Amino acid sequence: MPRPTTARQPRIGLLVSIGLHAGLVAATFFTWSRLIEMPNNSHTVPVELVTIADETNVAAMAPPEPDKPEPDKLVQPDTQMTPPALPDFTEVQPPDPVAPDITIKEPPKPKPETQKSKTQDFAALLNKLTAAPKPAPNAKKGAQAITGIGNANAMTADLADALKSQIYRCWNPPVGAPNASDLVVDFHLALNPDGTVSGRPQLSSQSAMAANGNAYTRAASEAAMRAIYQCQPYRLPASRYGQWRDIDPLRFDPRDMMGQ
Amino acid sequence: MKNLSVAVLVLAALFVFPVTGPALAALQVDVTQGNAQPLPIAIPDFVASDPGQAAMGAQIAGVVRADLDRSGLFKSIDPRAFVERITNINVAPTFASWRAINAQGLAAGQVEVLSTGQIRVSFRLWDVFGESQMDGRILTTQPNDWRRIAHQISDFIYERVTGEKGYFDTRIVFISESGPALKRVKRLAVMDEDGANPIFLTRGEYMVLTPRFNPTAQMIAYMSYIDTKPRVYLFDLETGKQEMLGNFPNMTFSPRFSPDGNKVAITLENGGNSDIYVMDLRSHQMTRLTSDPAIDTAPSFSPDGRQIAFESDRGGSKQVYLMNADGSGQHRVSFGAGENGTPVWSPRGDLIAFTKQHGSHFTVGVMRFDGSGERMLTNAYHDEGPTWAPNGRVLMFNREAQNGRGSQIWSVDVTGRNERRVMTPGDASDPAWSPLLK
Repeated sequence: MPRPTTARQPRIGLLVSIGLHAGLVAATFFTWSRLIEMPNNSHTVPVELVTIADETNVAAMAPPEPDKPEPDKLVQPDTQMTPPALPDFTEVQPPDPVAPDITIKEPPKPKPETQKSKTQDFAALLNKLTAAPKPAPNAKKGAQAITGIGNANAMTADLADALKSQIYRCWNPPVGAPNASDLVVDFHLALNPDGTVSGRPQLSSQSAMAANGNAYTRAASEAAMRAIYQCQPYRLPASRYGQWRDIDPLRFDPRDMMGQ
Repeated sequence: MKNLSVAVLVLAALFVFPVTGPALAALQVDVTQGNAQPLPIAIPDFVASDPGQAAMGAQIAGVVRADLDRSGLFKSIDPRAFVERITNINVAPTFASWRAINAQGLAAGQVEVLSTGQIRVSFRLWDVFGESQMDGRILTTQPNDWRRIAHQISDFIYERVTGEKGYFDTRIVFISESGPALKRVKRLAVMDEDGANPIFLTRGEYMVLTPRFNPTAQMIAYMSYIDTKPRVYLFDLETGKQEMLGNFPNMTFSPRFSPDGNKVAITLENGGNSDIYVMDLRSHQMTRLTSDPAIDTAPSFSPDGRQIAFESDRGGSKQVYLMNADGSGQHRVSFGAGENGTPVWSPRGDLIAFTKQHGSHFTVGVMRFDGSGERMLTNAYHDEGPTWAPNGRVLMFNREAQNGRGSQIWSVDVTGRNERRVMTPGDASDPAWSPLLK
């Protein structure tokens, strides 16, 4: 009675073998697709070697549309105005002000707040620009460093490159200012799936501290913030949203441009 | 079946792995290149309640636009492109309509005439993309001083956006030139930084040279050939009085105030040898700083007053040297090609501007105070005599045309960009920039 046995064993072995191979092929296509794509997609050179010309080419494929007026969702001009109380020139005191002023509806924040009208004075309005931001919900803890090495960076080098190529044209770097090393600012930027900016980009705690103490750094951080807003929406592959949803740090470093 | 289970587990693991892998790490982006361009800013005519005041509102906005445009760091948007009309500066603007014309900043102002006859000018500077107010001020003055109000508003905007002090509410002292080349009339003159309000301080009977402001912009030191003897004089702008700085038997020239205004460094010629001295303006005591047989001249204090840059040909060619304010530690700092002179220390303290003579060409450049990082900012036939804006960002200098058509004042950014002519009444030379006016 050995025949049936011997005939059956190879058949099971064959089936298992076919199944495993099919599984591996499927896994290769569906599961490892990103890893396998990597060499093809990351034909873009590593971030630190990219030249402007390369970046311009990438941008040409996905041009931003700065001219397109966007619907103003964030701010409704409020009609509840009170007379302004501004510092008087004859007192030569810079603004240490003061009284209730223009009411502005806040842009949406990550954590929904109770909807109440906020009457803010000038100081409060200015503080919005300089106050140390709350850490974003998923912000990294502690000091951050760009290593430029490792799987995560290798896999996303093309994304970083594509984002840079879209944002650089909106960035007016503070060339001519002294102490360029003080002017490097880091943001945590969250993007919506359509490439628009989600919430308000947050300065890293280190950059926020520097901006509070140095008018040049403050100006540099505001120029970077304008660039982030102006160049949105960012054109990035929707299928890889998980990889570009959070950008941290988004660093603006003018040191290579000083003296130009 | 065992093999099958293992296969399933392996497959499951393969599917699960990428989800928990490094793909969720935040993307890191390092932007190192930008697009240095003037910041587009909208400055509508300042609003007013009656037509007379509206005319002044339009004039003030016009001066602010011209100031910021001239800096090269801003580009004012043509008011004809505006979508929204500002009628009340105490109402937040519709930011989308300013974004639509690519304005990144919006400065909205208004003019009122008070019962005292003074004008009160208010303005708010808005960040159009950040949708927040960046600055808001009220300035009050006599109607005649409306241009100063406009310059001060320009300074506020410039400082708030760039982080550095402005330089629009300043004056320029210079030598106004007229007449034929052989009988040139040179008069001491001052004007606003934008060329407005030129005033002649001397009548032109005597040749005048190298005027310099003191730190309060009230006093001018200059060299004049009164009685055919070249001497350094002081001119008090408030009283119009002139006095000779000391009474020396020989020529004195090349004056420059110390940062505290209490001293003047000058060059004294004696028997063909020129050396640098410092005079204390309170005690009139002179201290000799150099004693080299070569020509030492063109002293310029560092902003902290501790060092003096000067030019000397003691090494065989004219070069820039440094010394401590007491004359000790003299050493050469410029080693670039050609001859280098007329050093002027930047108010920021980081750079020294100088004139380089290379063959028959004179150009203006900057170097760090240790002589490194030499950069030429101009490239014309004959540029010389740089002077710094009080914020250390812009320089003016003297430009002479190759065909001898006379001399003009030009300005250039410290980056070497934005070279442009400064309008003067007729030919002009030897500009010196005042500090910010108080």
